[in-house]
Amino acid sequence: MKTSLIICALLVAALNGALMVPALHEHAMPLGAATTALAVLTLILAIACGGKPASVTAPAQAVTPPPPAPASNQAEAEVVAFFGLLQEKGRFVDFLMEDITPFDDSQVAAASRVVHQGCKAVLKEHFQITPVADTPEGSPITVPAGYAADEYRLLGKISGEAPFTGTLVHKGWKTEIVKLPRILKADKDRLPAIAPAEVELK
Amino acid sequence: MITKFSLGIDLGTSNSAASIEEFESGRSSVVEVTQITGPNQIGEKPTLPSALYIPHPEEFPGDALRLPWSNESEQAIVGQFARNHGALVPDRLVTSAKSWLSNFHTDPKKPVLPWNSDIAETKLSAFDCTRLYLDHLREGFLQAERAEGREWDLASGQVVITVPASFDEIARTLTTEAAEAAGFGNVALLEEPQAAFYAWTAQAGSDWRKQVSAGDMVLVCDVGGGTADFSLIAITGKDGALELERISVGEHLLLGGDNMDLALAYTLQAQIEESGKSLDDWQFLALIHAASRAKVQLFNDASLNDVPIAVPSRGSGLFAQTVSTKLDRTTLEAVVLDGFFPITPVTELPEETTATGLQEFGLPYASDPVVSKHLARFLTRSQMNVKASEALTALVRPEALEGDCLRPTAVLFNGGVFNAEPIRKRVLELLTSWSGGQPTRELAGFQPDLAVAKGAAIYGRNRATGQGLRIKAGTARSYYIGLQSTRPAVPGFKPPIKALCVVPQGMEEGSEFVIDGQEFGLSIGRPAKFRFFASEVRSGDTPGQIIANAEKDLDETSQLEVTLPAIEGFPEGQAVPVRINPLVNEVGQLELWMKHTGSDHRWKVEFQVRTE
Repeated sequence: MKTSLIICALLVAALNGALMVPALHEHAMPLGAATTALAVLTLILAIACGGKPASVTAPAQAVTPPPPAPASNQAEAEVVAFFGLLQEKGRFVDFLMEDITPFDDSQVAAASRVVHQGCKAVLKEHFQITPVADTPEGSPITVPAGYAADEYRLLGKISGEAPFTGTLVHKGWKTEIVKLPRILKADKDRLPAIAPAEVELK
Repeated sequence: MITKFSLGIDLGTSNSAASIEEFESGRSSVVEVTQITGPNQIGEKPTLPSALYIPHPEEFPGDALRLPWSNESEQAIVGQFARNHGALVPDRLVTSAKSWLSNFHTDPKKPVLPWNSDIAETKLSAFDCTRLYLDHLREGFLQAERAEGREWDLASGQVVITVPASFDEIARTLTTEAAEAAGFGNVALLEEPQAAFYAWTAQAGSDWRKQVSAGDMVLVCDVGGGTADFSLIAITGKDGALELERISVGEHLLLGGDNMDLALAYTLQAQIEESGKSLDDWQFLALIHAASRAKVQLFNDASLNDVPIAVPSRGSGLFAQTVSTKLDRTTLEAVVLDGFFPITPVTELPEETTATGLQEFGLPYASDPVVSKHLARFLTRSQMNVKASEALTALVRPEALEGDCLRPTAVLFNGGVFNAEPIRKRVLELLTSWSGGQPTRELAGFQPDLAVAKGAAIYGRNRATGQGLRIKAGTARSYYIGLQSTRPAVPGFKPPIKALCVVPQGMEEGSEFVIDGQEFGLSIGRPAKFRFFASEVRSGDTPGQIIANAEKDLDETSQLEVTLPAIEGFPEGQAVPVRINPLVNEVGQLELWMKHTGSDHRWKVEFQVRTE
């Protein structure tokens, strides 16, 4: 699990960097997009670490015939499958694995549209992402007593008792639904490919 | 068995969906259909793409394409992966099976699909595909309900399947048969525009009676991905209550949103090629999707002037090879609004297909892409139909019949194309221009998604409980049997075929009669064949009436065949005098029987496909 954490952290850093390119500012919300990715990856990690099936709200397997017993690396296979979705729809892995240095901003911008459009579609289809806090960033906010620690993080000078009053720095992201495709059968000895090599026959 | 729920199935040309209404709890929900989303991968979606893929036996090893309700990999897969993957392997992909079902130039039961492909695996017929879609929806429904702890016996449910209003009796019969073969018991059929109307009344609640009043005539204008379907519903008042009657249906039109996306993609491709770059087939597919998304974005946000479009290359290099262009509003409006929905005079009808000698057999796509002209043709023919019968004429306001076409007073939109407000506005403008400036209003409460499946479930509930609204709608067409002329043969002159009206337009469920006056002599043990005709514009014809020139005034739909088996009292070879006995059964299916004039014996006539 440590490896996946490192990989995810790296991916987030890379995505952050790539989406910060100035030419991209006109339509997208680079910080928003990157944070969304962060939120998603955190979620996957949470699910993978918990060892639960990735389909939280999706219907369970049919009663007949009985589902095959989950393989030992089922959870990892599901994370790989999710990357597969981001790659298929938004060329996510292509985008991150290529060396970005030799290309100028206009080329990066064109490619990032593909990534933004596709990955956003994946997020919209499989999650229901909303901000944690509805107040505009920079305005005062009160964090009630008994808040969930994963929803609010207090920064700066923390003292006294809840409710805490401060300024909203980042609105946070959460999802109400996780509806990922399920892997029917993960191989015991190997993980499924993120994207297949494509071969055209004539 | 007590009916406990109704299941509405929208068997669409490009996407299917199902919706359930549970009577006791009042629960109403759309079925999340489990489907294969990739090799070894399944997921749930509210729609099931009506696409079927026949995999090569070694393409996906092991049981990578197994559904949860099955023990082995599927021989033919249905749904999302079938459509996405099939787009890149077109030889193995079947789409638009529904249009093949109503295309009587090829036998819907003959295994010819995928069309024009030379795969080694067994091909399927349009009927097989329909059965497989329905089978998947049935299993998907049971599975989704089971996952939430509900176990249903289909015999305790009312199943309603929607069909285009343009489907004739043969296509309707095939759909019912396919449903039976797919494990559904008795199903009722409902025309899609009617389903959209039921969904609208349910969504508007009690408010719908305020939006329409007696004397209104509602045009249900349904333009989906691949087909366009029109119907007219007349609203009348009787003892203070509103009554609804479907008075006219359109012809089967293979024209829809996909044509618009394709037209945009060709325009954008030309733009890209002007800049010296070119696109391969795969990129062109990506361009169609990108154009479709850009279209939605521009139509939904009036403040945007253009939407950038980026088409990646097929290889993994994303930065050097991504091709980009822009779709601007002027282009969009020129291609979609003015290309498909121009303001044309009502007298301008679609160009007739001029059959060239070497026309390729395939789906009869509309040769004229202008929706406005098809709508003009529909309203013109509707006027002809309404004027043909006094009963129908009495249902509409006299001013609706003035001018060159029938003038609807309100429009209910349905289908993905009308998500775009500018297109809805344009259609209203068009109708207003045809009714001498008298504005045509839009019924509020357009719900683009899944209205047909929801409406079908609501109709199923009303039908099973005997409560709630019902649109009066009998057979949408009148039907005729061709009669051989008894004139002496003259060289070089083919006598016109006469036709006998056997089923009037508007014949209702659960009714039957015997046509007196016309007797046929059928020989025992020998098949008797008849030519079968239909018309959607002759509401005034009554059973027994003779039409002088069937080939000119009617549309030939199929062939009828009946063989009288040898039975006691009738030796083989003996001619038996029979009369025609049409009936519409409890589920709205038309049946023709030949009834012996001297006894109660009768024989069922089968619809046969007319192959050329």
